[in-house]
Amino acid sequence: MKKLSKHLLFFSIVVSFLSFQTGDVLCDPKVLKEKAKDMLDPYKYDSSELTRIIYKKKESVKEVEVPLFIGEKYRFCFNMEALPKAVEIQIYNKDKDSKNRKLLFSSKSAGLDKKEIQCEISKSRHVFVDYVVPPVETGSYMGCAVFAVGYK
Amino acid sequence: MRMKSLIVPVALFFMVLISCNGSSDVQKESDEVNDSTLVDSDSINVSEEDSDVSYNLPSALQIAYVFGKSGAIYNSTLPNNVKNAVNYDISDYKRATNFGVYSTDLAYCLFNKKHQETKDYLKATKEVGAFLGLNQAFESDNFAQRFEKNISNEDSLVKIVSSIELKTDLLFEQNKQKHIAVLTFVGAWVESLYLANEAYSKEKNKKILASLLEQLSFSEIVLKALNYHKTSEPEIGALISEIEKIKSGYEAIASLKAVNEKNEEPDFEALSVSEDELKIISQSIQLVRQNIVK
Repeated sequence: MKKLSKHLLFFSIVVSFLSFQTGDVLCDPKVLKEKAKDMLDPYKYDSSELTRIIYKKKESVKEVEVPLFIGEKYRFCFNMEALPKAVEIQIYNKDKDSKNRKLLFSSKSAGLDKKEIQCEISKSRHVFVDYVVPPVETGSYMGCAVFAVGYK
Repeated sequence: MRMKSLIVPVALFFMVLISCNGSSDVQKESDEVNDSTLVDSDSINVSEEDSDVSYNLPSALQIAYVFGKSGAIYNSTLPNNVKNAVNYDISDYKRATNFGVYSTDLAYCLFNKKHQETKDYLKATKEVGAFLGLNQAFESDNFAQRFEKNISNEDSLVKIVSSIELKTDLLFEQNKQKHIAVLTFVGAWVESLYLANEAYSKEKNKKILASLLEQLSFSEIVLKALNYHKTSEPEIGALISEIEKIKSGYEAIASLKAVNEKNEEPDFEALSVSEDELKIISQSIQLVRQNIVK
């Protein structure tokens, strides 16, 4: 009986330990993507993307390529609430290694502290969403940025 | 004796570890993305999510919506037979690609206002989705009743199907199954290419050809996404080779080459494609689709 109690106690400790490994609620894909989707209205939801952002000692860029249909009008809705420090969003017509690429949108104009950002894109075959991650002095911070794409 | 008394707790410990890391049961997985914290640089592993470049692929619904604008006439013989759904519970590759195929067929029927067929393809999509552990996406929010109630209302159905797509996407995200999401997209894209190709060969409508060419232009990003995950499933290597043939057939179109040489964006409605050029592309599409649905 004592042995069984010991085993049960050990099992409970293991289960409790593992349940603490699931992370916190600050970067919940479900909440973040649903909020971004709700901002699309009246556009129809197409897709969404969650990007893990890691703040390093140097500025860095994370890029998401988004193929589009050229005749369609799109709305991009960003949810930036799960980021510990503001990240600039830039949207280009070409990837970050290309020369002469054209900036189609920057979140600077809306204010970098804004958590919900929208922009409209049309007449493009694809766009490149760049998250410009600012440097941090100590350690590395992690968060995530989400956007949803809607079409008309 | 002491050793023996340790066997049970140690076995229990490993059983719990295994059950928390198994990939087959989607709903049991924990969400490891849930963090916004200070992390140690050394502990950061380079995975796809940590890479500097990633891809956001369109939904089957949008591809079918855009294709629907070409005015192609509905052809009930083209979608994959719903009875085949039971055959796909053999590998994650088959489950994922055919989930994509049925998603496109569902959207094809929906945008052509084929109500009974829409219901049939929803059932097939749900069935294959269940093989992938996606039951939750199809069972929440009184989804079945809402679908039935709104069967003749296209806008409402689009919203319901979009909501399933988001839930599916979240399940893939939570379970770190990005490669399954990519395979699902590839299945949907191949089916849409197949529908457009067959429709054009029958109707010879310029708008259908333009839609087919625009869809073909996605082959580059499809290959980038697949190459990222080429070691995730054993069948992906062969799929890449087949799609490379589609891409090379597309890029060999003389009128497209001329546009690309000028570094201009192609106007798909203005491109001319010879019968020979189209035949090569057509055969490549038929082969990859046949290998997916067989």
